[in-house]
Formats: sequence, structure tokens, C-alpha cells
Amino acid sequence: MNKLATEAPRWKTALNMVINPGEAVKSQMSKVPWPYSILVSGLSFTLFFMQTGLDLLRTGQIETAAVILIILLGLLYGTAGIALLAVMSWALSRAGKRGYTVDWAISAFGLGYSATLVYALTGLLFSLAFGWKTAVAFGVTGVLWALRPTLFTIKQMSGERTAFSVALSTLCGAILLLGWALLGRFGV
Amino acid sequence: MEMNLGYAGKSSGQRANFWPTYLCFITLGILIPFTKPIFQGVTLILSIFLALIVGLLAVNLSIMLFNSGNPDLRVASGGQFAREAVENGMLFMIPFTVLAVLAQLLLNWNAVMPFASAAIMTACATAGAEVMKKGAQGMKNVLIPSGLAFLLSTGWMMLVGLLP
Repeated sequence: MNKLATEAPRWKTALNMVINPGEAVKSQMSKVPWPYSILVSGLSFTLFFMQTGLDLLRTGQIETAAVILIILLGLLYGTAGIALLAVMSWALSRAGKRGYTVDWAISAFGLGYSATLVYALTGLLFSLAFGWKTAVAFGVTGVLWALRPTLFTIKQMSGERTAFSVALSTLCGAILLLGWALLGRFGV
Repeated sequence: MEMNLGYAGKSSGQRANFWPTYLCFITLGILIPFTKPIFQGVTLILSIFLALIVGLLAVNLSIMLFNSGNPDLRVASGGQFAREAVENGMLFMIPFTVLAVLAQLLLNWNAVMPFASAAIMTACATAGAEVMKKGAQGMKNVLIPSGLAFLLSTGWMMLVGLLP
């Protein structure tokens, strides 16, 4: 059984992170390298920020150059930003004492954004095909769905401390949403 | 001296406490009228009432489903396992509720329902994961409460649309 879990393809681990993050965090994360996970979160936020840029472009609030800037900010947010958030949570949870490495934390945090990637891709499809404003409807919803894997990751790192993980996940979610709102304005 | 502050484990026999869950539902209910073009007192009262009904249904139907799906565990735990699992799972509504308050009052997004929907889905699925942690077998324990949460959140969204 364990062998099956270790040999599971990475896309299946990513899917499991959406369906059953508790189990994925507990048993499969050590086999996923952090650059792969950061690729998932980086792509998710790049596409999410792209939709923000497209929404603003459609309403005439920004030029094409600003859209490109917002996309680059999204890439930075999804890679360096998520990695920093993971390191902060790892340190606050004192996960090192429980045998979890920083790499493990970054990997679990990054892969947690698999659901965001699905929402971002769907949102981009609707944005390009129908011209809908999708940043809040799809983008923010996608980020919200990533909060569940984040909760499980922090719970695992903190030794099953529910109150602590709820508080820290709230902080992580607030940082992400407020950061997105601020960067969106910076792009304007 | 208590050395495990903030840990989920609780002594047996202690009754499950759902006030944080209902507080989350009430908070979401209070926020909903602010998303309407005109704020009305009637909408506020109806919205809180509706949110409480959804909350009561989410908690009690989840407990009922877990109990009926795991009769052996129910007997072994003296009927407490489902209540404890739902209590722990529903705590996971808190981050979504706090973020909904931030989004509405600080960022003026007028998007409470996506937060409410994600909150209820996450809480019910987490309750299912808690049930599995207590020894229940099968993915049904995650999928069935997720289905229930989907129905409740969809119904809630539709009824919110009908509010004055």
C-alpha cells in the first residue's frame, strides 16, 4: 500500500491534494520535490493575476504593459510569496522539531494550490472565450479552495493543534487576499 | 498543568460544543445584506435566520449521516464520535468567515457567498476526515458530507438571491 502511494504519479498526488488533502499531506508529500509544487502554485497565481489584468484592461483602467506587469507579479507571488509563507508557517509551527523540513513545507504549501490552478484555468477559459470578468469569481474562489490543504499542512506541522492551525491558516489567507488586492492596485 | 493548549483532543464524556460554528453562520448571515444594493433591516433578520437554519442543518444532518453510516463506531463511542468529529471539522469555517469579513468590510468585494460556500464545503469534508481518523472506513465519509455541503450551499445561495 505504502509502495503504491510512493509510486503514484505527481498529478495524482496533486489531485489527491484537492480531494483528500489530509491524507496527501500525511503520506505523499515527502515524495514530491518542492520545485514541482512551486511550479503548480506559480502557474496558479500567474493565471489568476492574468485574469485580474484582463478584467482591468477590459474596463479601460490599465494598458497592456500593466497587464504584463501584473502577470509577472503573479508569478513572483505564486513562487517566492508562497515559499515565504510556507517558511513562515514552518517556523511558527516549530515543525522542525517534529521532523518536517523546510522543503517539505514548501512542497505541501505549493501543491495545495492545485485546486487554484483548476479554477484559474477554467476562469481564463471563460475570460478569453466569453469576455467575462473572472478574477474574483474564479480566482478568489480558487484561492479559497487552497485554504483547506493549507489548514491540513499547518495542522500536520503543528502536531494536530486545531486552534493554532485555524489561526495561522486565517493569517495566511488574509496575507494572500490582501496582498493580491494591493498588488492589483500597484499594477494600475 | 495543561501542556497541550490548542490541541484538538478532548477528554471523553465532554459534550461537543457548536457555538463557534453557529457564530460563523450568524456572521456570514450578517454580512449578506451588505452585498445588496440597499441595506434593509428585514433582509438582515431574514438572512441571519436563514444562515442559522443552514447551520443547524449542516451540523445535525452531518451527525446523522455519520452515525447511520458507521453503526459500529457509534456503538463503540457511545454515540459521541460523530458529534466530536463534526465539532472539530466545523471549526474550519473560522478562516473563511474571517476572510469574508475582511473582503466585505475592508476590500468592499460584495462576495460573501463564495466564502460561505467554501467554508461549508471545507468544514463538512474535514468533519468526514475527522470521522475517518476515529476509525471509520471508506471515502464515503468524505464524499457524502461534501455532497450534503454542496446541496446546502447551493440552496443557501439560491435563497439569498430571493432575499429582499
